[in-house]
Amino acid sequence: MCPGAPPTSIVRMADDDVVTVRGLRKAYGGRVVVDDLDLDVGAGEVVGLIGANGAGKTTTVECLQGLRQPDAGSVRVLGLDPLRDATALRPLVGVQLQDSALPERLRVGEAVELFARRRGPRGAELLERFGLGARRRSAFAGLSGGERQRLFLVLALLNDPRLVILDELTQGLDPAARREVWSAVAQLRDGGTTVLLVTHELAEAEVLCGRVVAMRAGRVLDAGTPAELVARHADSATVRFSYAGDVRGLPALPGVREVTRDGATVTVRGQRQAIAHVGAWLVGRGDPVPADLRVDIPDLEQALLALLDGAQPQPATHLIGAAS
Amino acid sequence: MTTLQMDAPPARSATSQLIRTEVLLRLRDPLTLTFAFAFPILTMLIIGGSFGTEPDPVFEGQNPAHWYVASYLTVMIGATGLVTMPVHLASYRERGVLRRFAVAGFPRWSFALAQLAVGLATVVLAGALLLAVAAPVYGIPTVQDPVRVGLGLAAGAVAFVSLGVLLGTVLRSARAAQAVGLILFFPSFLLGVGGPPPEVMGSALRALSQFLPLAVVTDAVRQPWLGIGDGTGPLIATVAMAAVALVVAARRTAL
Repeated sequence: MCPGAPPTSIVRMADDDVVTVRGLRKAYGGRVVVDDLDLDVGAGEVVGLIGANGAGKTTTVECLQGLRQPDAGSVRVLGLDPLRDATALRPLVGVQLQDSALPERLRVGEAVELFARRRGPRGAELLERFGLGARRRSAFAGLSGGERQRLFLVLALLNDPRLVILDELTQGLDPAARREVWSAVAQLRDGGTTVLLVTHELAEAEVLCGRVVAMRAGRVLDAGTPAELVARHADSATVRFSYAGDVRGLPALPGVREVTRDGATVTVRGQRQAIAHVGAWLVGRGDPVPADLRVDIPDLEQALLALLDGAQPQPATHLIGAAS
Repeated sequence: MTTLQMDAPPARSATSQLIRTEVLLRLRDPLTLTFAFAFPILTMLIIGGSFGTEPDPVFEGQNPAHWYVASYLTVMIGATGLVTMPVHLASYRERGVLRRFAVAGFPRWSFALAQLAVGLATVVLAGALLLAVAAPVYGIPTVQDPVRVGLGLAAGAVAFVSLGVLLGTVLRSARAAQAVGLILFFPSFLLGVGGPPPEVMGSALRALSQFLPLAVVTDAVRQPWLGIGDGTGPLIATVAMAAVALVVAARRTAL
């Protein structure tokens, strides 16, 4: 509904770099929330900003939206300064905020009409797509949490924005609604819309994002495609089996980092190649292969959780040996 | 697929859309306006009937009931500007409604302007209702100088509604807005407008009451209404307050 389209020259200069952040710093009352953060989002990318609560994700996107003034660093969105050029920028960015609301008695259809810059069928199409077509006469106060989130998504997409910022998009949604929202974001991605997805749900980031930026304590821990992050942080495996015999030969196998025993249960941790060597070692002993042999390979979510939380491996019950 | 009715023109302004929406919302929830509408009318009926209708020197030789009828339009202005609007706006701020509008690209001043327009409309409607209730009970005193009365009411409404917008965008919660609003409103109401006449107050309270902004607006309206003075000084002060409050409220952009 905001009057005035941005100058075409501004749009042209923003074609390649949609978000460029350098050295962003923000503190609240002496508590540093974002610390020397760099972030790039290219046109057409779907980038996931992930981290636990308090990692600084929301403050970062609030700076991108011009809702917060950075203490230091530079922020450019579509080539514009979010604070100085807010009037030109905001019609180009669709935002779904983590904490926001509408007037309680405002009806769904009225909200769509109020936030639409142009009249047309777009609002109705989006309401249908997100399962709110039958709720357009319902007041905001009467919507469930999931319905509210879906309405905010509709409002974010209403004006065909060039960048969509989605902050904890699927929080409070049931699995069916979540899949529906994921599907919608995937459609945005396939259509070339640039999306910055803020989430602490790693599965969501893995499904939707071409690139993931992991944050902790206001800093970027690591960034890359999901495959790159798996290679860097999930190259590990755990092999467990019951075995009564001598296992002193296991720590010397290639890829084995640590061997522990708890009663009859032997646990071998190491790189993925250790799986094959432990199997060969067991077969080579001539004993029957243990019936409870189990191999655990961390997925991206587990790897990133360990990265984000700084989690350490479980302490060994009884350390047999460890690779030097 | 059902089709939404999108009947707004493409070039509509942000402010007009917000005004339309706010009017719609207030019509749906009229109880939120109780304080601005009901409080002045109820207290006028009670106080106006407490001192009789005979001209009294304590009321500068006026019929006490008429004195209060001519005073209570400003009670409504104060109730709207100091209580109703700050609470309404602060609750929007507290719940993230203002952030929602801000990130959607609504110009920051548009929300304040819409609230100003709706607040002034509230004052006009509540004033009409107050006079409609007063007419059959106490009668409406003849307006001696309609131009000055109109100017005083208009400037006073702009001043206090602007102040309400300002308070609502500064205070961080509806509860804080209510507390601050009531603290500002009731001393002004009791000492400067709707309480006992200044002649019966002690010297300290009487001196204080002369400087309360709402009392200044009341003088700007009551004096030319009842013909007990031209109210030039209070009118100039009221216009100055309106100008300052309007400018400060308009500059308050951090929604």
